This record gives sequence, C-alpha cells and structure tokens, in this order.
Amino acid sequence: MKEYQEVLYGLYDDETELMDAVRKANADHLDIMDVYSPFPVHGLDPLLGLSESRLHITGFVYGALGTLTAFLFMTWVFTRDWPIIFGGKPYFSAPAFIPITFELTVLFSAIGMVVTFYTICGLGPGVTNPTLDDRITDDKFCIAFETNGYSDEEINKLKSFFSSTGASEVNTKTI
Amino acid sequence: MNQFTFEGKEKSVLIGGMVLGVVCLALSFFMDGSPHAGEIHSRFWTNFLHNTVFFTGIAFVSLFAICAAISAYAGWYAVIKRIWEAYSLFLIVGIVLMLVIIAGIWGHFHHIYHWAGEGVTTIGSDNYDKVIDGKSGFLNPTFYTLATVGFLGLWYFAFARPIRSMSITEDKSGTADYAIHRKIKIYAATFLPIAAFSSCAVIWLWMMSIEPHWYSTMYAWYTTASWFVSALALTILTIIYLKSRGLLEDVTDEHVHDLGKLLFAFSVFWTYLWFSQFMLIWYANIGEETTYFKTRRDEYPVLFFGNLIINFLLPFLILMRNDTKRKFGTVGFVSALVLFGHWWDFFYMIKPGVLKELVHAEGAHGPLPSVAGFDYPHLIELGVFIGFLSLFLYFVFHQMTKASLRPERDPYYAESIHHHS
Repeated sequence: MKEYQEVLYGLYDDETELMDAVRKANADHLDIMDVYSPFPVHGLDPLLGLSESRLHITGFVYGALGTLTAFLFMTWVFTRDWPIIFGGKPYFSAPAFIPITFELTVLFSAIGMVVTFYTICGLGPGVTNPTLDDRITDDKFCIAFETNGYSDEEINKLKSFFSSTGASEVNTKTI
Repeated sequence: MNQFTFEGKEKSVLIGGMVLGVVCLALSFFMDGSPHAGEIHSRFWTNFLHNTVFFTGIAFVSLFAICAAISAYAGWYAVIKRIWEAYSLFLIVGIVLMLVIIAGIWGHFHHIYHWAGEGVTTIGSDNYDKVIDGKSGFLNPTFYTLATVGFLGLWYFAFARPIRSMSITEDKSGTADYAIHRKIKIYAATFLPIAAFSSCAVIWLWMMSIEPHWYSTMYAWYTTASWFVSALALTILTIIYLKSRGLLEDVTDEHVHDLGKLLFAFSVFWTYLWFSQFMLIWYANIGEETTYFKTRRDEYPVLFFGNLIINFLLPFLILMRNDTKRKFGTVGFVSALVLFGHWWDFFYMIKPGVLKELVHAEGAHGPLPSVAGFDYPHLIELGVFIGFLSLFLYFVFHQMTKASLRPERDPYYAESIHHHS
C-alpha cells in the first residue's frame, strides 16, 4: 500500500452531471480512482465497472455457521452434557431447537457481515479516514483521480476534462 | 401488442385439460376405497372441495393484492394489474362450485363435514356429539350456506366486478383528474378489513370444520398465506407465458424480480405460520390439539415432510440469490414447484381430516387405514388438479380478451414502466 496518495478531484452539483462526466471519462479512457456521492446514485455501479458485491455470500456462510452452531450445541447439551426432561419431551426435541437456531442464524449472519464489511472497508472504532471534502457528505458529487507521479501534461488533461464536464470546483489534496 | 386474443390452440389445450379433469373426477367417484364409498363418495367430494377452495382462494387473494397495492399507493404493480383483475373475477365460478358442495350438505350426498351429519346435534341420538353441539351456532348448514354465498357474493359483486369495470372505464376516460382512481381507492380500502374478517370465517367453515373437534387460531392466516404464494406463483407463470406470446412488453425482469421477492418472502412467511401452529400445539401437548399433527406426521409422512421440502426448503434455497429471482427459467421453475406445493398443502389439510372423521364416526380408533387418494396425490388427483387449473386459465384468458393488457390511464402506469427494483 502506498504511503500517501496525491489526488485531483472535481466537485459536481448534481448527479446527472456526475453520470455524464463518468461516461465521458470512460470514453476518454481516464482511470477514475473513486467517485463519492452523498447518496446512492442508481446506475453508477455498472458505469464504474464495479462487480456485484460478494458480501451476501459471506452472509450465507455465516448464517449456515450459525444454524449449525445452535443446532449442534443444543443437541450436545440436551443429549450428552446435561440431559433434562422438559415437559415430557424427549431429550432430542428438534422443534424446540428451531426458534433458537433461527435466532442464531440471524445473529451470526448479521454480525458476521458487519464485521466483514468493516474490515474490508477499513472502518471501525479508532480509525480516521481522510475525507477529500466535507461537502461530499452533504450536497456535492465528486470524481477523484490518483495523480502520483503524473506529469503536468497529464494533470492538465484531467483538469480540462473537469472543466469540459461542468465541474464546479477542481482541487488537489494529498491523503 | 396489448390486446390479448384467445387462440384456438389455447382453447383446445385448456378444454382438453378440463375434459381430463372431468374424467378424473368421474374416476374418483367410482374408484374409491374410503368407508361407505358407495353412498358418500368421499374421494370425489374431497377432490372437488380441495380444488374449488384452492382456486377460489387464488381469486380472492388476487383481489386482496390489488386492493392492498392501491391502498398502499404502490406503483410497480400497474403493468400486471390486468392479470390480477382477471384472476379476481374467477370468484363467480367459485360461488357456483361452492353451491355444489352446499347442495351436497343439504342433500347429505357427502360426509365431508361431520357436523352436518344426521343426529350429531340431536340430544339422545346415537350420533350426538356434545362438543359439536356446542359449536352448532356456527357449524350448521344454514350458516355455512349464508356465509359462503354471502361473503363470496360480497367479494365478487361488491368489489371484484366494480373494481374491474371501473378500471376498464378508466382506460377510456380522457381526463386527467383521476376521479375513477379515487373511487377505486375507496372500494379498495373498504375491501381490506372486510376481506380480513370474512375470509377467516369462510376458511373455518370450508376447511377447519372438517375436523370439528380441533381448532387453531393460526389456521386462517396459514391458509391465506398459502393462497397468496399460489397466486404469486401463478402470476409469474402467466407473465412468462404472456411474454412468450409477445404480450406485456412493459413487464420487465424488474417486475418479475419484485414478484420473485414476494414469492420468496411469502414462502418464508407461510413456513413461519406453519411452524408456529405446529410448535405451539406440539409443545402444549393437549390431546385434542395434537391429534391433528400426530395423525399427519405418523401416518402421512410423505405429505407432512414433502410439504415442508417443496414449500420451504426448495424455494428458500433457490430464490435466495439475486439473479434466480430475475431469470425467467429459475423463477418459473420455482413458481411451478410452489404452485404444486401449495396445492399439496391443501391436500394435506383436507384429505387426512376427512378420512379420520369417517373412520372415527364408526367408533374405530388407532391408525387410519391406507386409502388411495387420501394418502398422497395419485394420478387421478393430479388429473383433477389439471382440470381445475384449465378451467381457471380458460376463464382468466376469456376475461383478458375483454380489456387491453395495458391500463394506460392508470395514474401509476408511467411509474410502473420505469420501475427499478
């Protein structure tokens, strides 16, 4: 991972301008680092070439793990470790295990996905993530290019791209 | 192309299906091993009741779905509205079919309902049953007739038909003040509470009263959930068929995706109700309640576990992924599966109960005899299913020819076309 990134970014006032700019960047074969928006913009993911998230697969795996944990643990407790007769039912009473199995499936799935998501995104308590501009959490839409080692000519090309697509501001920042 | 035309080929296929159904019904009339088959023909009558209730319920739930969507200001469903409207009109056929059952009660042609038997509520009679006598204010032929005809008639004449005709009038209205839509909204909002209460009453009468000593407060919910899944599955299959004919251009995989999500969600909801009903009864272990599940689990394991596999496990695992809800192949396969599965569910609810009441009325106890047509769906039962399905589709296709499949003047139509799920 790089120690720092030099970033050139442009701010747009609404999402239609942003979408048009992303389309133009694709046509010009510019290498977008990332796009930031205050809310999810429909249709942006396929334009950026982002593939479908695989987070839900981890969700399924965690859920299945929760199902097995709950069911096998209860089976072990009630048949081997500490068998007690409840309400005249057999030791192994599968229907009585179902509600807890369900709960643990949901719990494992939810917590597992949150932890995975936070780990992948580098989020979590005590982590500070640099923001390019505070206004992109409010009302601005941003396209950012990484410019480590770029020549002036290449940077000018990017700047002219921003001015031609109607960016309201263009700034640089090192993060 | 938005105007459905009922092709001759389709008519021949569906009429062929209906003939098959009639033949199979006739076969079940004669090939019957249940007690007193020669007099009460239980296999025939249970097949008839089973399929009548199943398809009438699909019609009812379609009307409920339209009304719920309108009341919720939903937009996405407008492109498929005409399918549900056509389904809901099948209620009139449901009335006619239920009248046959009612005639059977009054004439003692069948013994589906033990509470309608002779002497069951007469003190001093050999057949006297104190429990049923206590419920006879509700379980009597007069109330059965009034509730069935009254509620079905109310649903059809006061709601299904007016909503359909207003919706067609809306197509021709040139104004943009949405006056007709506002009027439909009043009908829809009125129908919802009426439907919730009246459907419970008829479900208790039609199906739960087959075992009059047993009761469950979840039964009506459970049955309605089953109907809802069936209606969604049939809707998806109809859309796939109509699209293969080049109709319904505005229905995209986004709409099918939403229906697939509903199919997934309501399959899980059905399972939730199934399990809640089962577990409370299993846990409390009160004899008069457990008899329902004990009979079914111990003597009909194919019905009992097959029901859960087809209606929960398979749709749950197949529809879990995003893309299986969007691809017509997979979502169509699951729809066909759960449509059959919920028909199976109704079989599971009706058939063992009728046989049990017949056997117990003789004073016999212990395990039930294995009787063809009551243990699991035989070919004759499947033939009857195909017959009723053909009747349903014939009626629905006939209704579809009467209006454009594109309700262009619906205020939500534009929103529905651009729906993105």
